[in-house]
Amino acid sequence: MNWENILEFARGPFFQVALLVFVAGMAYRLVRVLALGWKPDRVKAKGSRVGGVAVSFLKGIIIWPFVPWVKNTFSRNPVIYLAGGLFHLGLFVVIFLGTAHMLVWKSLLGIGWFTLPLPIVDWLAAGAIVAMIALFINRLVNPVLKLLTGPAEWLNWLIVFLPMVTGYIMTHHLWLEYDTLFALHMLAVDVLLIWIPMSRISHFMFYFFAKAIHGSDFGKRAVTP
Amino acid sequence: MEKSQTAVNTFVKETGAWIAAQLEACTRCGMCAEACHFYQGTGNPEYAPVWKIELLRRAYEQRFTLSGKFKLALGLEKAVTDADLTHWSEIDYYACTMCNKCSMVCPMGINLGSMIHDVRTGLSNAQAVPADLHAAVEKQENEGSPLGVTDAVFKQRIEWVADEWEIELPVDVKGADTLVVFSSIEVMKFPSNLAAIAKIMNAAGEKWTISTKGREVVNFGFYEGNEELTVLFASRVFDAAKELGVKRVMVTECGHAYDALRWSAANFMQVPAGIEVTHIAGVLGEFVKSGRIKLKPGAYDNDGAITFHDACKIQRRGSHIQEPRDILNILAPKSFKEMTPNKEEAICCGGGGGVIAIKDADPIRYAAFELKIDQIKKANAKTVAMVCSNCRLQFTDSVQHFNLDVKVAGLSQMVADALVEK
Repeated sequence: MNWENILEFARGPFFQVALLVFVAGMAYRLVRVLALGWKPDRVKAKGSRVGGVAVSFLKGIIIWPFVPWVKNTFSRNPVIYLAGGLFHLGLFVVIFLGTAHMLVWKSLLGIGWFTLPLPIVDWLAAGAIVAMIALFINRLVNPVLKLLTGPAEWLNWLIVFLPMVTGYIMTHHLWLEYDTLFALHMLAVDVLLIWIPMSRISHFMFYFFAKAIHGSDFGKRAVTP
Repeated sequence: MEKSQTAVNTFVKETGAWIAAQLEACTRCGMCAEACHFYQGTGNPEYAPVWKIELLRRAYEQRFTLSGKFKLALGLEKAVTDADLTHWSEIDYYACTMCNKCSMVCPMGINLGSMIHDVRTGLSNAQAVPADLHAAVEKQENEGSPLGVTDAVFKQRIEWVADEWEIELPVDVKGADTLVVFSSIEVMKFPSNLAAIAKIMNAAGEKWTISTKGREVVNFGFYEGNEELTVLFASRVFDAAKELGVKRVMVTECGHAYDALRWSAANFMQVPAGIEVTHIAGVLGEFVKSGRIKLKPGAYDNDGAITFHDACKIQRRGSHIQEPRDILNILAPKSFKEMTPNKEEAICCGGGGGVIAIKDADPIRYAAFELKIDQIKKANAKTVAMVCSNCRLQFTDSVQHFNLDVKVAGLSQMVADALVEK
């Protein structure tokens, strides 16, 4: 077995299995939560619940975390805002607006889209990697994070970090053979896909629920979320 | 049954999809800590809001999720024990005013405040409530008020206020429009507030009444998270309102009662139809705007800077953000100064949520108040106005504790003193 075979396996059958586990796992998680039942809020609203939800998402997507409107908290823990923001920005740009990844999406979905020039994607990828290291250190030293962090959190960090760092090294043709790095990158991606539904990395799905609940509660009370 | 089992059963029962989705959305990033005045004041990481819902999370995951069951089986995480209840009782009752500022900071928007209330319900069912808080709850159950305002005391207090301030306080008037329900903090500690509010209602020509049956607006059951008593205490108010046939119930300078009666009651009990619940802050705004009362412009402009403290349940959770400011801009257009942060992002007083009723919580309550002191100093304020008696109690007590040269004022009192006779 050589790296070429491993690459074939990692981008072929293993990738398909990983995708399946990812989709099925997330669907299971979603159903498991929704099956617990939703209690309607019977309180008469003063403001608009829908409006609150809209503002909540708008603030979440457009403003946070680049313009930290919550006074006091930004200055008290800037690392988590800046590194957290940069990490997510870099991740989204690389996954959706990097040409190589767009082509993967195109092969999966059948449609392609506009991508950003490589240097921009590359710098953001580097930024995301640096941000992840900052978040790692932050988790080690921040007293609250020390309390909250267990094996699951470290594992999450590692499993997200590996695809990023292998992808970066691969793009820059550093140290190892291209095929070797490509295989390692694909293996890391496969592991990530399988791991997401089993971990808190799945927060991106529940984000929409939490933000909507938040916006609706504030909207009901006629307070800006 | 073990206490911990009772608590876990409550958590499981309370965990609908809306709770589960929020627990699942949490990334354990710890940002909420920086919003919490108790964490900021003390630096104790256990006061991070996310840590306050730890028991709820564990109960949920171990019961409903594969990863939770897996972690439990591997011994990576423990089941909830009786010792945990004792430990978290201090965290959740001593160090949380349910002000919900954390939810504004959470990148996921998780409504931590209401989930901490759910944790309290579990602790309440398992009888893991701080003794002095629970004693106050029992007192309200048996005497009608956590501060010992029995029927006789209430009657005597009302008569005394009417006499002392030469003011008319209509009692049990059927067919009145507005039922005014005071908190016993006002009745016992700030009685001039009763006179002030009566004066304002009379001046506005409002058809109002107080009730001898629904005479206590505070709801210590709500603080404790005791579902049964929360309903009982709220029913006393709603039953009185129904009996008197009023159109609306007005909560006086009390925050959590407004949250309970206006924003939560319909979700835990049958609320009588056609009776609106409103707050004195909103009513003052309405009276001034419609010209039903007239205020002396600039009445407080010669007494140093005045700032306004936003109460978590009345402003951030109750939306009466603008009315007090409109009023202060009439009363003190030159000397009204905002603290930073303010309005929905304001820092809580540190005494709400039942915290001030717990003696052992005094040190952290004062520690949280130091954030307020810093704000007041930065605004260079000589007077702090507010519309919540619980905040006012915390301010009065803490100002004395820290020996500060700051005047603490209820907005109703300021309005009543600046009324222009028509």
